[in-house]
Amino acid sequence: MLSSVDPTRLKLTNDEGTRGVLVGTRCQDCQVCVFGPAVFCQACTSSSLEPVELSQRGSLYSYTIVRVPPSGWPGPVPYFLGQVELPEGPQVLAEIIGCREADLKIGMEVELALQPVILASGNGAETTKAVYKWKPVMSTDAIQEASP
Amino acid sequence: MTQFRSGREVSVAGVGLHPFGRFRDKDLAGLALPPVTEALNDAGVAWKDIPVAYFGHVYYHGMSVGETALGKLGLTGIPIINVENACSSGSTAFWQAYWGIATGIFDLALAFGAEKVPSGPVTVTAEDSPERYIGADHMMAGYALRMRRYMEDHGATATALAQVSVKARQNASLNPYAHRKETVSLEEVLNSRLIADPLTLYQCCPTSEGAAAAVLCASDALDRYAIDRQRTVKIAAAVLRSGNYNGRGSDHSAFSPYRTEPAALEAYEMSGLGPEDIDLAQVHDAATIGELQQIESLHLVPFGQAWEATQEGRTALTGDIPVNTDGGLLAMGHPFGASGIRMIHETVTQLRGEAGPRQVAGAKVGLAQCSGAGDVTTVHIFTK
Repeated sequence: MLSSVDPTRLKLTNDEGTRGVLVGTRCQDCQVCVFGPAVFCQACTSSSLEPVELSQRGSLYSYTIVRVPPSGWPGPVPYFLGQVELPEGPQVLAEIIGCREADLKIGMEVELALQPVILASGNGAETTKAVYKWKPVMSTDAIQEASP
Repeated sequence: MTQFRSGREVSVAGVGLHPFGRFRDKDLAGLALPPVTEALNDAGVAWKDIPVAYFGHVYYHGMSVGETALGKLGLTGIPIINVENACSSGSTAFWQAYWGIATGIFDLALAFGAEKVPSGPVTVTAEDSPERYIGADHMMAGYALRMRRYMEDHGATATALAQVSVKARQNASLNPYAHRKETVSLEEVLNSRLIADPLTLYQCCPTSEGAAAAVLCASDALDRYAIDRQRTVKIAAAVLRSGNYNGRGSDHSAFSPYRTEPAALEAYEMSGLGPEDIDLAQVHDAATIGELQQIESLHLVPFGQAWEATQEGRTALTGDIPVNTDGGLLAMGHPFGASGIRMIHETVTQLRGEAGPRQVAGAKVGLAQCSGAGDVTTVHIFTK
């Protein structure tokens, strides 16, 4: 059974860790919704907050292809990093998988995808966690073509 | 805005700068001290007269490095405060020094900063944070995201972005303190290796080592310390802000591109000056896109038009609003704790008319803007 890379932001919905939902917090006073947990509203400081499940799909606000990764990055290099705007308001940064460079386009629709990632911890032990990513919403043919 | 804003007038009395680059044989205190003694000598102030000091730095080099460095000048027992405020640590130290005097607590203050930034991509979060595994914590990737969106929104060309670096290197070729003193062509900037598309290596500031210092004095106390009024520069505004809610959630790399605007407006209000009064500006150009969005946030050029202003040469030394006259972060390099005070050093040098081959003719009003993670921003305005 996989655990979430960040249980406060990604709630897994099956034991295999292949399905899940991003968690946000909405202010009941000003209606602003943020990604992740909150005790006070970032916009108006109210403490009348409610957890919300964020949409599975969003729009690609911007993207980059990271050629020199940060330390601790466990994935392939280069990787695509997407800044995705969700209908509820928050923008969520994560790797974009299952597409080619030529497919990337600002405004394209993407959806949440979970991947098991092997993480090395400080003491040399390895754990596998479910990490949230984005993948383009496109036809099955196009996805198969894009897969390595 | 509840900031106290009617304090005593404060002037910069002296400045000092260590060259920026790599200095493997010096520790942080060893880097920090030479500009301090230079700034004291520049002001003509004795160390024993300094009643308070603020030291900006970010990376850990043991505790109380400010005390270690200044202790070599003599243990005078004054309060020494070590300041960490990301890339704005130096300018935050300066801001604290300013307010220490403006509020009437001190007549003099020392602000200094130093840094030895490790090589490689700069990250914000702790080593084991989930953001590292998610791939979202990468300072230059954050700039790349902003750059691609800016190009899409405003039709900015890759060539216009690259021109920011070409201009920075031209200015730095006239500055012996710069980390990167060699000029580069547009082609060299565009063809340097990609870090995070569309940002190429020469559009990212080098990670560097360096140090800078400034001595501040209440304007009404300049005569008491026999400071030469001909060489002092008045501080017309000193503003520090953290982020407002920006609608972008909490990922560190998705920082707000125009977060400087509220600080700029506050600085203009405090100084009674407007963007039209600014003769030259030092801004936070950690990447080329940074400079464009900063000068737009400062209202020096209209939103979405900084790339055209750059292409037209308006931000060059010979333009109507010269920006990053010493080479900026792109060519000076970026030792976090020092950069904010380095910008003030350049502004003071220009307003004194002592910038030599890169002197902006007739400069009377200068602005220094520095950003940091946490949506920190500082804006200082200086007048001669």
